[in-house]
Amino acid sequence: MKRVLLLLLLSFACKRDVREVVVYTSVDQPFSEPIFREFEKRSGLKVLAVYDTEETKSTGVLNRIIAEAQQPQADVFWSGDPVRPFLLVKRGLVEPYLSPAAASVPAQFKAADGTWTGSAARARILLVNRQKISPADMPKSVRDLAAAKWRNQTAVANPLFGTTTMHVAALFSAWGDDKARAFLDELKGNGTRIASSNGEVRRLVAAGEVALGLCDTDDAAEALHDGAPVEVVYPDQDGIGTLVMPTTVVLLKGPHREAARALVDWLVSADVDKRMAESAAHMPLRREVQVRGVRSADSFRSMQVDYARLGDETEKIQPWLRQWAGL
Amino acid sequence: MGGTLKRAQEHLALAVAGVVLCALVLLPLVGVVAEAPSGALATLVSPRPWLLLLRSCALAAVVTACALAVGLPLGLLLGRADVPGRRAALLLHALPAFLPPFIVALGWFNLPHGNALFSFAGAVCVETAVFAPILTILVAVGVRGVDPSLEEAGRLTASPWKVATRIVLPAAWPAAALGALLVFALSLSELGVPLFLRVRVYPAAVFARLGSIDFAPGEAAVLALPMLAIAAALLLVERRIGVRRSFAVLGLRSEERPLLALGRHRTTATIACWLAAAASVVPLLGLAIRTLRDGGFAQVEIGASAWNSVVPAALAASVLTVVGIVTGRAVARDRPGSRLLDALAVLGFVTPAAVLGVGIITVWNRPSTAVLYRSLAILAVGFAARYAVIPSRAIAVAIAQGSAHLEEAAAVHGAGFLRRMRRIVVPLHWRAISGAWLLAFVFCLRDLETAVLFYPPGSAPLTVRILTMEANGAAAIVAALSLAQCGLVAAAVALGAWLLSGALR
Repeated sequence: MKRVLLLLLLSFACKRDVREVVVYTSVDQPFSEPIFREFEKRSGLKVLAVYDTEETKSTGVLNRIIAEAQQPQADVFWSGDPVRPFLLVKRGLVEPYLSPAAASVPAQFKAADGTWTGSAARARILLVNRQKISPADMPKSVRDLAAAKWRNQTAVANPLFGTTTMHVAALFSAWGDDKARAFLDELKGNGTRIASSNGEVRRLVAAGEVALGLCDTDDAAEALHDGAPVEVVYPDQDGIGTLVMPTTVVLLKGPHREAARALVDWLVSADVDKRMAESAAHMPLRREVQVRGVRSADSFRSMQVDYARLGDETEKIQPWLRQWAGL
Repeated sequence: MGGTLKRAQEHLALAVAGVVLCALVLLPLVGVVAEAPSGALATLVSPRPWLLLLRSCALAAVVTACALAVGLPLGLLLGRADVPGRRAALLLHALPAFLPPFIVALGWFNLPHGNALFSFAGAVCVETAVFAPILTILVAVGVRGVDPSLEEAGRLTASPWKVATRIVLPAAWPAAALGALLVFALSLSELGVPLFLRVRVYPAAVFARLGSIDFAPGEAAVLALPMLAIAAALLLVERRIGVRRSFAVLGLRSEERPLLALGRHRTTATIACWLAAAASVVPLLGLAIRTLRDGGFAQVEIGASAWNSVVPAALAASVLTVVGIVTGRAVARDRPGSRLLDALAVLGFVTPAAVLGVGIITVWNRPSTAVLYRSLAILAVGFAARYAVIPSRAIAVAIAQGSAHLEEAAAVHGAGFLRRMRRIVVPLHWRAISGAWLLAFVFCLRDLETAVLFYPPGSAPLTVRILTMEANGAAAIVAALSLAQCGLVAAAVALGAWLLSGALR
């Protein structure tokens, strides 16, 4: 018994390595983990990662960073969307860093003061089940989620969590509060299913349990990869455009500054842009990075958004959203 | 001086156990509440949270009723009747109880299902499948603990059916009552299943203050207060029905009892028992089909996650068992302060895991405890905070059934508290203590909701890895990981059962 306890204690004591870097990420683990492994191979540094769950996407680790603020543990935050890092900037938890590796990232996808840098992006799309909706009848706008002809046949993820939060905030910003609120109420009235995550929206559409749903391009790529009978629609090409969300890399005031900078350099590099496009169907931000089968961010009409303003909007609408969600 | 110290030993031991429990449970909760803004109480003013609480209570009540409908007859049949293979059937039936409920829901999702799965009824079915075995096990063990002389007297004049319904089953009532309370409490605080099945429940409202963008741990703590009040009420009910003294757990008694002969009903009862056992493993079948069809095992990488689950679970179970021996004995012997310690342990169990988790970060993420916070030890701390009640209660029940005379005699002859524990209590209840350790270990092993909040970077336990891989991971890999979790728990239970049966011999 004593030996067992000694072994247990040793297992705690021997785990730490001085050459390490701690990263918290809301980029899906199946995609981010190989990127960290590659970095470990190249740098010789050990990456200790905390991943987010599908249900609390982007917010679980974000809130952990906030909860740990008195004694920061994370060196880098790789966010699945560009809005949440602003909450950390506001709280003074970010160490500005202009990575030389991000020189070729377009200006609209990085902060001039180095507080955040964009990397491989996703877009918010409509995933449509081809067996349920004919080509002639394809939806064109997110407003179609509330269309009476698809009553009880649509799904969106819970807007309190994940990228749906940002999308809803973008709609509030684009349409104004009244129209956006009316739209969300119409969704409810139209029997739209509130799924626990975008991944579940994908599953519902792929399985034909609903005809269409709102999710991210990587979810759509996963469904297509699985051979599901689905079609991807970039919504609102005649109107406000499709929302584009770069993943965002932020240097935090963690304990391993030098190693953290090295990891940031890697995460915002063109190499990672390409790898994320190949493995996760993320859109490269740089024009020079082209991957077959993956659309680039400038190949469709994208929504004009100020990510910093969206951050404020996201916070502002939370109480109303909670009420809307019945929580 | 020596005599004074000897007399003080028991009080000192209880005080140490109290300090441990306070550090584990009370400090984190105080930490969260202390940071609550002054207006946080306003969240309870609106009718919305109360309606949601009512809905959650309704869900918990229906799940409890279903668990009673399943667990009472099954517990009686699998515990005492001459059903062929009853131990194997009980083990199969019990398996979902040792898994994170989320995995069971995922298993059902991998099987053909209608829209009904994503509904209140779906949540009832999944939660019943997960929690009913707890009731079955308690009833099965309870009916094994019935005094054989009562049954023998009954057999002289009554049929086996009458003996079962008039003597055995009523004697198992306290076990069933405790089981029902446990199921109600677990269902009330369950978050993963309702979230996955899109059923709005109160714990989700608490979680929304911690998992959504406006991080408000103080509000979450305030919202958790009604749940704690319900838990306190349940505790009072439990104490009123006096379940502590009335039944054995974990098959703690070793006497063999004759099985109840079912006669012509034996075939029907056997089919019913095995159907129930098979139904319990159906979701696992869903996971297995998905894994085998898409080659999940070939792609899966468990890495260190199994180790990250086992090590803190073993450490937490060991610490809790040592604390549980002191507190459990104190509860069994009704020592002053014991009820307070017991209530503290219950508090950790029923507090929403997310609230407890934020409290643990607040308390333990400091320069002085940085080594602990950055290692697997923090998981052990979290597990210990949440599951302290399990070994304590199991040991309390075992000790309550034994006589205090041996201890009293030893005390008269000058044996101090520690010596009596070492020479009498521990050897006498060694099997129960081992069972309590195993139970605590399995609960820690299946934990997801506590660990996910503060697991050390790069050291995710297996349950967390399943959940994070579920985000856009291949379904076959997620299914394979889930089966690995099942295998880990099944191996722990089987090994523990084997060791315990060895100890019995």
